Amino acid sequence: MASMKKRAPREQNDSWVVIAADSVVDTHETDSEPAFVRLRNPSTDATCLYMLGAGDVQLYEVKAFEEDFHSWFVGQTVQRDGRLLFITPMDPLYLMLPYLNKAGKEGKFQPVDQIVMDEEFPACSRLLSCTHSLASLHHIAEEKEVGSLKFHRYSQEKTMSWLKKKVERTVVALRKKNISVGEGVKSTTYVRVKSEYQEEDYLRYAHGLISEYISEDLSKALLKHLQLPELTSPKETEPPSKKRKLSDKPVEAGDDYTKFNSVDFSRKPPKKMTAAQKTLAKADKTGMKTMSSFFSPKVKAEKK
Amino acid sequence: MSCNTSVTRVHVSPVGQAPRAPVHLLPCEIEHNGPAQVSQFFIATTKDRKYGTLTIEKTVSFRGRGLKGQELSCPQGYTGLVLKEINKPGSDQEDRTLKVSSVFDKLTYWNLETPPNSDDTIVMAMDWPELAEAIHVPVED
Repeated sequence: MASMKKRAPREQNDSWVVIAADSVVDTHETDSEPAFVRLRNPSTDATCLYMLGAGDVQLYEVKAFEEDFHSWFVGQTVQRDGRLLFITPMDPLYLMLPYLNKAGKEGKFQPVDQIVMDEEFPACSRLLSCTHSLASLHHIAEEKEVGSLKFHRYSQEKTMSWLKKKVERTVVALRKKNISVGEGVKSTTYVRVKSEYQEEDYLRYAHGLISEYISEDLSKALLKHLQLPELTSPKETEPPSKKRKLSDKPVEAGDDYTKFNSVDFSRKPPKKMTAAQKTLAKADKTGMKTMSSFFSPKVKAEKK
Repeated sequence: MSCNTSVTRVHVSPVGQAPRAPVHLLPCEIEHNGPAQVSQFFIATTKDRKYGTLTIEKTVSFRGRGLKGQELSCPQGYTGLVLKEINKPGSDQEDRTLKVSSVFDKLTYWNLETPPNSDDTIVMAMDWPELAEAIHVPVED
């Protein structure tokens, strides 16, 4: 890659190509409009962009699908930034979980609007307005009603069975979509390899996907709950396949819209981050997290 | 961290009136943002390789390179939008506003030399909404 011609720095963009859930644009029932807001990423703790739909009824995740050296033609214009953003409905419980978990350490029941608040991220209290937020709190917390008031206290046991259900559903979807969950890069030919995977491969893969939305501690606890042994040293299988690997570009300073989670479609075995990577990832408050998700729970730490 | 308080609103109300625009994802970075004669010099020269009535591959020559491409539809329940910023503010503390400048329900992506196939990353990316649904649909009681 050393021979590559130096490219001019990307100037600020003012245009984005997006694939959004229809519900984002169906706002006829309310006067308000959807908005991008900054919230704390529950896995990395970094600032990330999410979207709240009109009237705050639905939370959306924003992920950038990005490959090196791509640009768009849109109508009769060129757009240099070749990313494709996906805006998909998101379960607000993932973003509320860290707040409940933290408050739970005090061990007492509290009103949820006092738990889910964050001076650094004022938009987080709007999560409570989402349609399913209050009704689904019982998946991660014990509830107590006193008169007309409700109080909550984090429950690890409930959280684990909730997360297990999430993993199980994800396994179903992975099977249905025939997504390659095996280790290593499968094939560089044009045919998708459809081999038989073991249940454990699916479980680990789904666990990796869900781990994108929870803290490392919860991710470890979930692995135990799923009765999957921790992999001590990930098998080094992958040859560097440039074809497959999508880069996660560093965040350009000054461009707020680059603070999306980004997509990584490379097929890698689930791998835990090293402590050093984790630290780096946490240090990077610019918030670009990989959507490793799709396909592996690795998070690359960016160097500026 | 006061910049976390600013939001970016999206004017979606004119989606019905937004023009449809053809969108093409090119396998190269073009160091330019702005107008170009895309229909005249690009779209006009694309050829469809057909099998019966079915287009199986598109070809075009761009800057002397042979590109091979195909159309992809947006996933079910999803719409393609091009968002454009209006009235860019001077600081990151201010709220920003985007509008829907055009809409699309399919896009064309182009590979350099390689025929389009189901292992192309953009094709796999289109699986994301369905997988995201499994991860995010609220767990019922």
